[in-house]
Amino acid sequence: MKKIMSILTLGILLLLTACSGSNTTSKSSAEDTKTKSGEKQVVTFWHSMSGAGQETLDSIVKDFNHSQNKIQVNAEFQGTYDEALTKFNAVAGTNSAPTMIQTFEIGTKSMINSGNIIPIQEFVDKDHYDMSGLEKNITNYYSLDGKFYSMPFNSSTPVMYYNKDAFKMAGLDPDKAPATFEEVETAAKAITKSNPDMKGFALQAYGWLWEQLLANQGALLLNKDNGRTDTPTKIGWNEEEGKSIFNWVKQMVDDDTFANYGTNGDNMIAGFLSGDVAMFLQSSASARDVIDNAPFDVGIAFLPHPEDKERQGVVIGGASLWMIDGKPKAESQAAWEFMKYLQKPEVQAKWHVGTGYFAINPAAYDEKVVKDAWAEKPQLQVTVDQLQSTKPSYATQGALMDMLPEGRKIMETALETVFNGGDVDKSYKTAVQQFNEAIKQANKARGK
Amino acid sequence: MSMIYPTIETNETYLHQAERVKRQNQMKSFLKGMLFLLPSIILFSVFVFYPMFKTIYLSFFLTNAQGATTVFTGWDNYKALFVDPIFIKSVKNTFLFVFYTVPPTVIISLILAVIANEKLKGIGFFRTVFSSTMGVSVAAASVFWLYLFNPTMGLLNKVLETSGLDAIEWLTDPKWALIAVSATTIWMNIGFTFLILLGGLQSIDSSLYESADIEGSGYFYKLRRITIPMLSPTFFFVITVSIINTFQTFGQIDILTQGGPANGTNLIVYSIYREAFVNYQFGAASAQAVVLFILILLMTALQFKLVERKVHYQ
Repeated sequence: MKKIMSILTLGILLLLTACSGSNTTSKSSAEDTKTKSGEKQVVTFWHSMSGAGQETLDSIVKDFNHSQNKIQVNAEFQGTYDEALTKFNAVAGTNSAPTMIQTFEIGTKSMINSGNIIPIQEFVDKDHYDMSGLEKNITNYYSLDGKFYSMPFNSSTPVMYYNKDAFKMAGLDPDKAPATFEEVETAAKAITKSNPDMKGFALQAYGWLWEQLLANQGALLLNKDNGRTDTPTKIGWNEEEGKSIFNWVKQMVDDDTFANYGTNGDNMIAGFLSGDVAMFLQSSASARDVIDNAPFDVGIAFLPHPEDKERQGVVIGGASLWMIDGKPKAESQAAWEFMKYLQKPEVQAKWHVGTGYFAINPAAYDEKVVKDAWAEKPQLQVTVDQLQSTKPSYATQGALMDMLPEGRKIMETALETVFNGGDVDKSYKTAVQQFNEAIKQANKARGK
Repeated sequence: MSMIYPTIETNETYLHQAERVKRQNQMKSFLKGMLFLLPSIILFSVFVFYPMFKTIYLSFFLTNAQGATTVFTGWDNYKALFVDPIFIKSVKNTFLFVFYTVPPTVIISLILAVIANEKLKGIGFFRTVFSSTMGVSVAAASVFWLYLFNPTMGLLNKVLETSGLDAIEWLTDPKWALIAVSATTIWMNIGFTFLILLGGLQSIDSSLYESADIEGSGYFYKLRRITIPMLSPTFFFVITVSIINTFQTFGQIDILTQGGPANGTNLIVYSIYREAFVNYQFGAASAQAVVLFILILLMTALQFKLVERKVHYQ
């Protein structure tokens, strides 16, 4: 037995040394080619933009690479935010890690905890770069105790898209979108009545939308002020606030005016475009795609809220750019130059018009491209108005915690259960229980 | 006394020597054997044993997002599993999924194999067609079915609608989602099962059929009394492999439903993936992986114990 074990360990050792050996050689050869091929500093940028977002981003990167001759940015699509973050966690600390990565807002806390990043604040301080020019609501989300850990980049909020032609058909005012849960219900009924083939409303089972519908009522997602003042220990919303969303959906499911697309957002948009459903909630980032592809007039409206609650506004969604630790100084510096480039008004204007994401630099709204686009597609402006009318509070500042991706999955399951006729009380109770359990587990894993 | 002593001593030394030689020989042949086994031992250790022990080790810890262990929890991860409704549901789903996919796959493949075993002109074409799904990757097949199931422009719903039936929410209705994924899986697995069964059919000795023909037996009698019994080792192989494969299904779930609606198609492997790479709970995920390993081990052992006795080897 001892022999076998020693042979085993020997074998493993041999293989490991062989692996590490080949690693070092490949690394040095890569460095050789880099220095030989030219003086350009290569920056690897992992992102999660697909569709119109990817096209616009690629064109911005190209502009940047042509605008100077010192830095070459290679933008690499790495799948959805979840997938990219998983890949990053697998390669973090090794040579395969990118120079910078785009990560969604709820990954903020786990990126900070990972210890594999350099806070952007270091570059801001060194460079005396002025962050105050950026949109207030966005810097609110990304600054923690006055310190920036990542560079805001693409930010969106959820809006309600609706089919104006269907509203006309149903005898509704196409220029006045329903603003409350109750008005949405009534409108959905009218639409399905006028056209039995068309459902009134669709809500993707997407945890992010659930968070936004909560924030719009002024409810917190997590206690301890959404995790902004201390580590959260349980959920922050109360039963009335949480259940109102479930009951709202349940009502429409019972009325048979609700279209169920499960967790699949693409199918939902396809259904909207082909006239299967008249209203849906989605990120403003899809605005350009939807408006361009719809064969009818698309309206965009603020996120609805319960009648008895005042509208509080939305949490800034989207993603920010992170500087990865352990890279050569020159490489990080080059990535910082690129980040600064992305904040320029003209770049942000192009970004906003090309996608429907906000310009994080409000100066972009004075650019001609934006003004022209707004004149042609006034819907794009709604998304900006909604953000700017948001009341600053802990609720609309958004939650911070490393278990948020798990929390989203829990809420998605609960929503799907209700979509399929499940009992509201029961699914709500299970979801809350699991959510609290997940928070507890995450705190325990951190050793606290 | 002193007379006996030396004889015993010589006897003992003799025995000792014989023992030593025997042991040396044994050691030699053991080392020789080891030398031959070394390549596979190294490969298995690196790619199977090491990950396995690491998984077992991880299952007793909580981890951070990079998978590094933080807190030792003992059996807590396992205890939590057996009260976790999501995991219990995924185990249930997995057994249902095996039940929905393995028997239909084997039966359909058997029918196809029996048909394709006839010696007809152009049968080679059909054999190629029937086994062709083997060459389609899981990802490609899933995307293809994703379009068939699409609620807006999917072919299946179009067919249902034109024949006057209600459209089905294939992938979002909990009643249908698992069935829809099963149909996809059956379609994908038929190629492989068909090929193995056809191979089995062709290796049956033709003299058996000839003597049955002389006795004037009918087609179905021959099928029941010769083909099926002679095919039993192949069946055994196909069923065991299919069950293990189905237990490990991941690709089509990830692409078609992502475990939805409301965990309706969340199978164990997908639940492991989600626990590890969405929730970053590597400890809990490892515990699930260990449970899955034990489940498959038990199922396979059970099969060998119960079924293999009935298998007829030539």
